[in-house]
Amino acid sequence: MSGLDGIAVSFRLNGEERSLMAAADRRLIDVLRDDMVLTGAKEGCGVGRCGACTVLLDGEPANACLLMLWQFEGRDVVTPEGLDAETDAAILREALAAENAFQCGYCAPGFVMALLSLLRRNPDANEADIRAGLEGNICRCTGYHSILRGARAAAEALRPARAGDHP
Amino acid sequence: MAAKPGARFVSGGTALQLDWARGEERPARLVDLGGIAALRGVSLDGGRLRIGALTSLAALLRDPQVGAGLPLLHAALQTTAGPAVRTLATIGGNVAGGTGCLIPALLALDATAVVATEEGQTVLPLASWLRRDRASPQLLEALLVPVQSAEARWTWRKVGLRAAFTPGVISAAGLLDIRDERVASARLAVGSGVVAPARLSGAEAMLAGAPLGSIDWTALHALLVIEIAASDDSFRSGRYRRIVAANALVHGLGGRPPGRFAAHNRQHSLTDVAAPDEVLLMRDSAGERWHVRPDGPGKIAGRLEYLTDRREAGMLVGRIKRAGMPHARIVSIDTAAAEALPGVAAVVTHRDIAGQNAFGIVVQDQPAFCFDKVRHRGDAVAAVAAVDAETAARALDLIEVVYEPLPLVEDPEAALAEDAPRVHDGGNLRTELGLTHGDVEAGFGAAAHIVEDVYVTPRQMHGFMETEGGHARVEPDGTLFVAAGGQHGGRDRMQLARILGRPEETIRVVTSPTGGAFGGKDELTVQPALALLALKSGKPVRLQLDRAESVLAGQKRNPMTIRMRTGCDAEGRLVAQEVEVLADAGAYASLGPGVLETALEHACGPYLVENVRTRGRLAYTNNGVCGAFRGFGANQMTYAVECQLDRLAVAAGLHPFAIRALNLRRPGMKGYLGQTVSGSERLDEMLAAAMADPLWTKPRGLSQDGSEILGTGWALAYQGNGLGTLPPDPAGGALRLAPDGAIEALYGLDEMGQGLLASIQGAVAQALGCARADVRPVTGDTGAAPDSGSTTASRGTYVVWRVAETTAKPLAQALCTAAGRLLGREAASLVVVPGGIAERGSNSGDLAISFADLARALPADELPFAATSFEFPKSDVFTGNARLIFAFGATLARVAVSRITGQLRVLDLNQHTAAGPMLDLAAYLGQLEGGGVQALGFTLTEDALMREGGHLAANLDGYMLPSIGDAPLAMASFALEDLDPGDPFGPRGTGELGLAAVSPAIANAVADATGHWPAMAPLDPEWMLDRLGGAA
Repeated sequence: MSGLDGIAVSFRLNGEERSLMAAADRRLIDVLRDDMVLTGAKEGCGVGRCGACTVLLDGEPANACLLMLWQFEGRDVVTPEGLDAETDAAILREALAAENAFQCGYCAPGFVMALLSLLRRNPDANEADIRAGLEGNICRCTGYHSILRGARAAAEALRPARAGDHP
Repeated sequence: MAAKPGARFVSGGTALQLDWARGEERPARLVDLGGIAALRGVSLDGGRLRIGALTSLAALLRDPQVGAGLPLLHAALQTTAGPAVRTLATIGGNVAGGTGCLIPALLALDATAVVATEEGQTVLPLASWLRRDRASPQLLEALLVPVQSAEARWTWRKVGLRAAFTPGVISAAGLLDIRDERVASARLAVGSGVVAPARLSGAEAMLAGAPLGSIDWTALHALLVIEIAASDDSFRSGRYRRIVAANALVHGLGGRPPGRFAAHNRQHSLTDVAAPDEVLLMRDSAGERWHVRPDGPGKIAGRLEYLTDRREAGMLVGRIKRAGMPHARIVSIDTAAAEALPGVAAVVTHRDIAGQNAFGIVVQDQPAFCFDKVRHRGDAVAAVAAVDAETAARALDLIEVVYEPLPLVEDPEAALAEDAPRVHDGGNLRTELGLTHGDVEAGFGAAAHIVEDVYVTPRQMHGFMETEGGHARVEPDGTLFVAAGGQHGGRDRMQLARILGRPEETIRVVTSPTGGAFGGKDELTVQPALALLALKSGKPVRLQLDRAESVLAGQKRNPMTIRMRTGCDAEGRLVAQEVEVLADAGAYASLGPGVLETALEHACGPYLVENVRTRGRLAYTNNGVCGAFRGFGANQMTYAVECQLDRLAVAAGLHPFAIRALNLRRPGMKGYLGQTVSGSERLDEMLAAAMADPLWTKPRGLSQDGSEILGTGWALAYQGNGLGTLPPDPAGGALRLAPDGAIEALYGLDEMGQGLLASIQGAVAQALGCARADVRPVTGDTGAAPDSGSTTASRGTYVVWRVAETTAKPLAQALCTAAGRLLGREAASLVVVPGGIAERGSNSGDLAISFADLARALPADELPFAATSFEFPKSDVFTGNARLIFAFGATLARVAVSRITGQLRVLDLNQHTAAGPMLDLAAYLGQLEGGGVQALGFTLTEDALMREGGHLAANLDGYMLPSIGDAPLAMASFALEDLDPGDPFGPRGTGELGLAAVSPAIANAVADATGHWPAMAPLDPEWMLDRLGGAA
């Protein structure tokens, strides 16, 4: 449905250099899910209002449904699949799973992205910080409190892990 | 740029998808400004901060200079968008569009715009630039913002439709420069969304020079309300916008909140109440009862494959052509151009339907593809399958449907008028129900107190995060395979077979896992289109509705108007109840008739009323489609009943606890419809739990800063389980030893997030004696599990438990017999233990044989297997859909009502429940918390408003699902697990219990705070403000 010409872009995806050619307004979420079969990021609204498609763009959370091809030239993109090798992501996921933080789970990968970037930036995030950091993510199942409990537990678990990284 | 019409400057691009979705034409060219590094960053320039227009909102929010020097802007940034959007969105984009929420803050800060025009760079006040001639291209380079003085008094408030990441209703910013205890200068501004950004010069003049101690805030407020220009939109009135902005500015700059505060909090006697022996549900205290759900880690890692995640080489992409017209006769459908488009593999319409072109769980009134007329804008007219999404979208545009518009039916009351246009040939009255017992007139005649109101409830959207979708194919053996999120694969298959005109045995339906359902995937959604496209193309097809299409075509909760008149005698005994319900069915019945029945079944709640008259009508309209939604009519009725009880208590001078205790049904009595009901009633216990709840000791009354009024309220929950007596309700399931040694639990139920898999593991492990990890649930697949009935109506829990209880013993026997034969021992000397079979009475911890070894040793056809099937337990009364099994609860809410905005915050939500023993503690807790916040949305923010058959909020930017900011500050959930001795029904479902009484608890809390009961959900903050007297 593009009205725009095709362009070639090069970017880093989950640590690997990728190049592709497509319409300039092709959305990152479609590139990921349809072209590359990376379905960890989900589409919940397509207008940046639910956070299910959140990826890390140069380390910051960003909506893959809003990003278009022309915007990720030269950028570093990390999807849920790209977190598998990250130690802090593993600790975060483990803490969320232990708390049974999610139910249907469709929003979960996006919440993980938002939380990971928050806790990387602010390891001492308190409840108010966590709530503010998750304002862009909608969960319809849980009422959010299980996610908050999991996030608090993750922050606890990550602090010693980080301290261990930098003695 | 001037030479290239159709071009558009873009920086973050976060508004583009919304603009395009609203129908704005896509430009032929986007001019990306993102590469201009000079336009990015914050620097100190004299006494001003220079903010490059391309600085992202996230960078600004983190910038220490902004945090220290521009606290007003910092506060405004915190209320703008969400973190991920702020990464992309820029301040230039927010400002240049003219409607951004940051503009009033920048106006109050006296910002200057640095602008590049074709003539060169100019610097002008932001307010002047906003009024520019938009025909000539201009590029905002930077904003120059004077650093706030430390003495300045400032305020910022964005009033939205929910607590966080909300569209702006109005934003107000104010800044007073103070010198020598006087206002040296004042800058006040409003803006956001439909409110044009503007400085408020009249109010500024009134403040300028005024001594701080003697500002006439009342006069200022009056002037502000006049001076602020704000128009209505579909969600809030201009009047509301003017008043809340004036309130916010006056309160924020040092005046008192408007209106008068009178304490309304009623006394609650807390003496001598013994709380029942409940379990507080939390991981810390749960110990060994806390289990990690088996599907959790895969979901959290994004590894678990949902049915909409399937991608295969050669898989086609399907799309559905929607009517777009709310009510019209179809003159012709021409698909030739679409079929001729290269890349299109199949186009299907009603002409491709071999069976009955009608579906519906109760009444088959909905065509799979419309043929004679369309009855709502989201009606399916055709579908295409193409090589990719772009081709499929182009093909949809090529399908030509000629319509002859028919008059619109949009109001359920008007729909029932004699001469109303007909949505269906049989007339618009889909269902009419009623019941009379006793003498209602005499009852009201004898009443000492009568309370009457009309309760209006919303067209709530299910809002599951995974929209309707899935994939389908024809298998090599000819089986049609359809995988799409659902709530009853067996029934989906039956309905598909009926539409396709082929035997059920030739269709396999997979319905799990599903990314949320809540009743909204109970009826068929995309399955007919998927099936027909796969059959016609002969290729695998995937199809998923995007959110806007899901809003347009998906089911919603039936909106209801409930007029309720309730009378009690001087002692508070209920003597008469009259209830009249009018419900909007939308264009097709689906489960709407059952929803209405269930609402009326709960018309007296758990209370005894001698004289009752109820009437319910369900009207067809062109307002989309409605159907099952968690709560299923009961929560709407409970809202009304439980508010009426509190209001009568006030009238009768009784305590809300006392009036309920006086009128509560007693265990062992017949049900409301005269039916026998199950035992283990726990209403007295829930009443005691509510009375003893620690929430009553938390503060109520005026908040410390005077801007909020706090109140606590509560309500009883009484929720029927199961489909009732009318529809057939078969259930069943099976256990078997799988070839790999797993204990497979076969259930035709669906994992929608509620924790079915964990519950199955818990129930089977407990009944069989094995470990949870030994149990492998096999669910949601008609090809792999027997029919268990629907995963709705809080019935799944009972089915899980009963199947496990019934099949565990024969399976254990078969396992021990097989093991005994292999080991040369008596079966009776063996017992099932975690991991396998052990010697009975042995405490060595050794297995005689593991499940895996046993399975390996047995031929496939000798693997132990036990199955059961049964009818879900039903009552003995076959009118009104009387239920047999009920679950009980008491919900308490503490709320804060804003005197500035009339909006509510839920501070605490405590839920006490009695639903028998928990199969899985975490799943049970999740149902209560999740149901609680879904009900909070129903009560405070959610309504899919429609006009002319169209949705006013097309996506999640306008439809307000609760955000994390709306979730209560604290929640506590409790379970009372005990059952009466010999109770045969085991665990009750909690799928709906968590939602049952939240609305009346909140409404009663509002009344506790303010003396006024909101009778509309979602709450209208303007109504609230008027009641508080703050809207003068």
